[in-house]
Amino acid sequence: MSNQQFSDFLNRPPFANTAVNSKESQPQSPTNDQEPAASPPSEAPAQEDPKKKLLDSITQLGQTNVPQLESNIYCMTIIGQVEGHIQLPPQNKTTKYEHLIPQLVAAEQNSKIEGVLVILNTVGGDVEAGLAIAEMVSSLSKPVVTLVLGGGHSIGVPIAVAGSYSFIAETATMTIHPIRLTGLVIGVPQTFEYLDKMQDRVVSFIARHSKVSEEKFRELMTRTGELTRDIGTNVIGVDAVKYGLIDEVGGLGSALKKLNELIKERKGEESVLQ
Amino acid sequence: MILYSIIPMETVFENMEQVEKQELKEIAVGHATMLIEQTGPFEGKIVRLISPDPQDYLKEQYAPGQKIQFQPEWLA
Repeated sequence: MSNQQFSDFLNRPPFANTAVNSKESQPQSPTNDQEPAASPPSEAPAQEDPKKKLLDSITQLGQTNVPQLESNIYCMTIIGQVEGHIQLPPQNKTTKYEHLIPQLVAAEQNSKIEGVLVILNTVGGDVEAGLAIAEMVSSLSKPVVTLVLGGGHSIGVPIAVAGSYSFIAETATMTIHPIRLTGLVIGVPQTFEYLDKMQDRVVSFIARHSKVSEEKFRELMTRTGELTRDIGTNVIGVDAVKYGLIDEVGGLGSALKKLNELIKERKGEESVLQ
Repeated sequence: MILYSIIPMETVFENMEQVEKQELKEIAVGHATMLIEQTGPFEGKIVRLISPDPQDYLKEQYAPGQKIQFQPEWLA
């Protein structure tokens, strides 16, 4: 590889403006007359009109950036299994809690974000990871609207009720059932008391954050004859609202409308305080 | 870990033994650390972002699954 070829190589993306590049190319430039032609003039793009810039990007890359709309709503989707401390095999679609939690921190801190929309279609998952997400959502100072689409089962239930206001699609379901005896902690089957405590954490969180009472929720959880060969209840859209678990039946439009209302309300409160 | 899900445990943990270990590489990008799955000599796919600045987690180009170009140690 000649010197010229090497410096050209260093001027391409991964190395452009790197320490290696500046070290290698500077001493060469006085001896090499072709160098200025190879590197684009740095002042030129600022003077070019935006139309030409756009055309250039289309001819060079075959694409152009869609103008970015700055949204004041942060949307989070929770799909598949809620993944906790153990990485699940690849046949599971998962939402990892270590990805969601810092996003919630950022949403709380970012002044441009005024509200959070959480969309759920989950089959459940790790109890601690799910409760961690639910606690984070419920302690956010900005309005949060949750929307259950498809399903919000098991540990999805506390997440669904954690927001300021919750919606469920008419056809969406939530399965309410006890935590099973197959749960493992360090590979040891759990004692009944331990599971019962775990269950209490989930049930009391749901009772605190929705209109359903602890007694009613436990009744739904242990009901027989609804699920085949298992105890529990499959609650569909309207029923979830009837039991007080979810605030309203609705879809995306009503969820966004409610979120915007809550944002406006919060802004009103803030201006009164000032 | 206690699983609270409508999917049976057997289905969730199927093939757990056969899962091959993902080879992850740690790189530093500004003040952030990234775990990446290397896809080429100078390129990788972001698996996880670890950063003290929460706003980094809202950056599209830092989201898990994005491709990232980096400078390998032997060139630094």
